[in-house]
Amino acid sequence: MAGPSTTTPPTGGVLESLSNDLAGAVDRAGQSVVAIHARRRIPASGVHWRPGIIVAAHHTIQREEDITISLADGTSVAATLAGRDPTTDLAVLKVDEAKAPVASVADGSAIRVGALVLALGRPGTAVTASLGVISTVGGEWRTWHGGAIDRFVRLDLSIYDGFSGGPLVDAGGRVLGINTSGLSRGAALAIPGSTVNRVVDQLVKTGRVARGYLGLGMQAVRLPAALVEKLSLPNDVGLMVVSAEPGGPGDTAGILIGDVLIAIADKPVGDPADVVSLLGGDQIGETLSTRIIRAGEPKDVSIKIGERPREPRDARDARAGRRGR
Amino acid sequence: MIDLSTGPLGTELEALASTLRQSVVEVRTRGTGAGSGIIWSADGLIVTNAHVARTDHATVVLWDGHELDGVVTAHDPRRDLATIAIDPGSVTLAAATIGHPTDLRTGDVVVALGHPWGITGSIALGIVHAVETRRGAPRWIRADIRLAPGNSGGPLADARGRVVGVNTLIAGGLGVAVPATTVSRFLEQVEARRTRSGARAA
Repeated sequence: MAGPSTTTPPTGGVLESLSNDLAGAVDRAGQSVVAIHARRRIPASGVHWRPGIIVAAHHTIQREEDITISLADGTSVAATLAGRDPTTDLAVLKVDEAKAPVASVADGSAIRVGALVLALGRPGTAVTASLGVISTVGGEWRTWHGGAIDRFVRLDLSIYDGFSGGPLVDAGGRVLGINTSGLSRGAALAIPGSTVNRVVDQLVKTGRVARGYLGLGMQAVRLPAALVEKLSLPNDVGLMVVSAEPGGPGDTAGILIGDVLIAIADKPVGDPADVVSLLGGDQIGETLSTRIIRAGEPKDVSIKIGERPREPRDARDARAGRRGR
Repeated sequence: MIDLSTGPLGTELEALASTLRQSVVEVRTRGTGAGSGIIWSADGLIVTNAHVARTDHATVVLWDGHELDGVVTAHDPRRDLATIAIDPGSVTLAAATIGHPTDLRTGDVVVALGHPWGITGSIALGIVHAVETRRGAPRWIRADIRLAPGNSGGPLADARGRVVGVNTLIAGGLGVAVPATTVSRFLEQVEARRTRSGARAA
């Protein structure tokens, strides 16, 4: 049998140096990527973010005890859950001793549309990777569960099974954020490093991310033209209260099902998101002056913002089992 | 700043594709449709997947459109590898350069060539996702790359265009290739068996 007989391909080309750069980035950043064993399925990924602090995707943590993590050097250590924030899909685990370097996190300026990026994961013993680009960068946004994320970062790359909680890495091996498929119907999104830092600070301090709460379910409704005219309303949309948590802040303030919220602090509201945006953790204890329409007449009601109760564990587990990788 | 159309990256990728394309063949068999194959040596040895070469005979189409009759000379469903012998006659075959899967690292750039969906000579670019080893030897190369059924039997090559694996299946969105080292071992066994049976016949 004759041996291979074509000319040897060129060495030292840009394609080869790109290959070396990417493999180098995987090697460097991969040292701080861990496997997290906190569910029955294949392990999920996490990042050694600060000494002894591991960041993971909330939806992949399906049990709160008996959590172990595997490090790049092949060793396993026990971890405890320091806290989780379902609204940003982040969780923080603590380990006594992690013989792994801490991730080198880039500042936000590296998050640019078109940037060549790697998603890393460790859904087992070895670090694995996928390549792509940042496809969208937007401003601050709120997740379906009300979490505030500094920038909207959508990725054109595959988030493979077990990749949620792993880092988004640039071609130099610097960490830009945490990847998750659990925030938007399986779409590949990254939570920027600045948001991760903020959530980690809160979770380490208090074990949870506090959020304001009115205990009211609301739905946008169109108001009759006659009413809009009679009351000289700035727009014709309001938020009808469709549920009120008994004993919740809204209930306590006397809000009834069927009331229509038209303004908060003199600003018109026409979308439940307008209300949610006023309910940050630092608003707890503040009073909201709200204007409602009840039985065709305007009425002012003051509601003291409470703190959102922790989500019941079974509801959380049911949801975590349903979505994301 | 890298100019992707005329800059070194684009030019290199084009050069790599046009060189590698000459070592990739289309394998047609009755009933099973078309797959891809790799010219392993210039004397007419084609390597492909066993699931591409299910019959005793196959038509081998070279990159320039030449059609040659091929005989399936070895078939290993366990490794999903097969060899096809063609008689090049007056045609000069460009054998692929074979690389070293053991040197692959996660993140390394890889290129796949083949005939996905019957489209001749398509190229796909990706990276190594993981090299799965067994007793220290590479067993599967998993690549983050977009493949289609017609890629079966075609090459997965490194950034220098050296063939590191045979694209074999798509699993969980990943391209899975049989490493070139496994192909070499398969070819050695085929050769040894042929020598033994040749000796018995003589």
